Amino acid sequence: MAEEGTLHYDPDKNYDEETLAQQRIIEKQIAGTQDFVTERLDFSVLEQEYAEDPVYIKKVRSLKSKYLCLRKTRGDGNCFYRAFGFAYFEKLLEDQEEFNRFRDVASKSKDVLVSLGFPQFTIEDFHDTFMEVVDKVGSQCPLEELHKIFNDQGYSDYLVVYLRLLVSGHLQKEADFFSNFVEGDRTIKEFCNQEVEPMGKESDHIHIIALTAVTGVSVRVEYMDRGGETTNAHDFPDGSTPKIALLYRPGHYDILYT
Amino acid sequence: MAQERSALLLHRQLGELMKNPVEGFSAGLIDDDDIYKWEVLIIGPPDTLFEGGFFKAHLYFPKDYPLKPPKMKFISDVWHPNIDKNGDVCISILHEPGDDKYGYEKANERWLPIHTVETILLSVISMLADPNDESPANVDAAKDWRENPAEFKKKVARCVRKSQEE
Repeated sequence: MAEEGTLHYDPDKNYDEETLAQQRIIEKQIAGTQDFVTERLDFSVLEQEYAEDPVYIKKVRSLKSKYLCLRKTRGDGNCFYRAFGFAYFEKLLEDQEEFNRFRDVASKSKDVLVSLGFPQFTIEDFHDTFMEVVDKVGSQCPLEELHKIFNDQGYSDYLVVYLRLLVSGHLQKEADFFSNFVEGDRTIKEFCNQEVEPMGKESDHIHIIALTAVTGVSVRVEYMDRGGETTNAHDFPDGSTPKIALLYRPGHYDILYT
Repeated sequence: MAQERSALLLHRQLGELMKNPVEGFSAGLIDDDDIYKWEVLIIGPPDTLFEGGFFKAHLYFPKDYPLKPPKMKFISDVWHPNIDKNGDVCISILHEPGDDKYGYEKANERWLPIHTVETILLSVISMLADPNDESPANVDAAKDWRENPAEFKKKVARCVRKSQEE
């Protein structure tokens, strides 16, 4: 790359390719060190991480008083979807009634997306894979198998794509409402193309609100940042009884267990 | 796993394009044994300088398609601001979203996993008709197009003629 303060622009060089190549190297490095979804971990891993940081150590203690353990997810911009998907499917393994409700929602979701103008051909591909995993959960596959699926990039990324499509579809369906929350002069459609559908794009409140609404799954998010003494819980939607809990640290989501 | 999935999807897309051809291009494989390498023939869009041409191009799909986009390369000569001198197509839909280094490509035109060969080629056809000279891959073609339309027209006409003989 260029030296400090100077830019040696070479017109024959394809910088975009170079950036992408570098991005892939970084992706590979991350992939080598971190599962998409880890085993259940003791909070001592967070205590070690923040050993030098009294503010965060205090917050980890407050987390420990409310939760048993956590699973970490890979920080690749897809962590919210991956954490949500895994935590919820894990829950479904032991809740047949909730599974039946969700299977119905999931199976109908393809037609909703197609009616919104998504191309049937490609939607079908992602939906089929999504349902394949949903049905594995329905057959009460062992937890290890679910864990393996979420760490198999082929499956795991397809699940993330479909959850992203669900969010995009819901935002577009309720565009009148959500357009008030989109920054800049972007339409909801543009927002979805830029911030929801592309892999690796991080999630904000608006994504969480949409995903919990379209799936009917309530989520508690424990916010752990610099302010205050403890982590702050927020339930989506407000006042609901959460099915799963996620830990939020700036830019990243992991899974929490009670 | 990811590989079987992308191969399956590409087979389906190819089958679909054979069964229901899309106006403006035709598609097949370079080598029948390799689903990841396609050959397409793009018909020069009517009412443009490229009308009458038949331009051959190759598409190279990565194993993790459709999470990552394919690369596209014209085999026929095409004088165009967004096609570099090696034939590589430089169009935003074939690039993954990321922060825009030069700020010239709107992120909403970037690669999305729901794009297909059809949406790619329709974008390329519209690019032929309507070059984007803010981010030229072929600087000389962009200069002709902007400053010397007669010269641009002449060079394109030469490509069209050549493509008819291929």
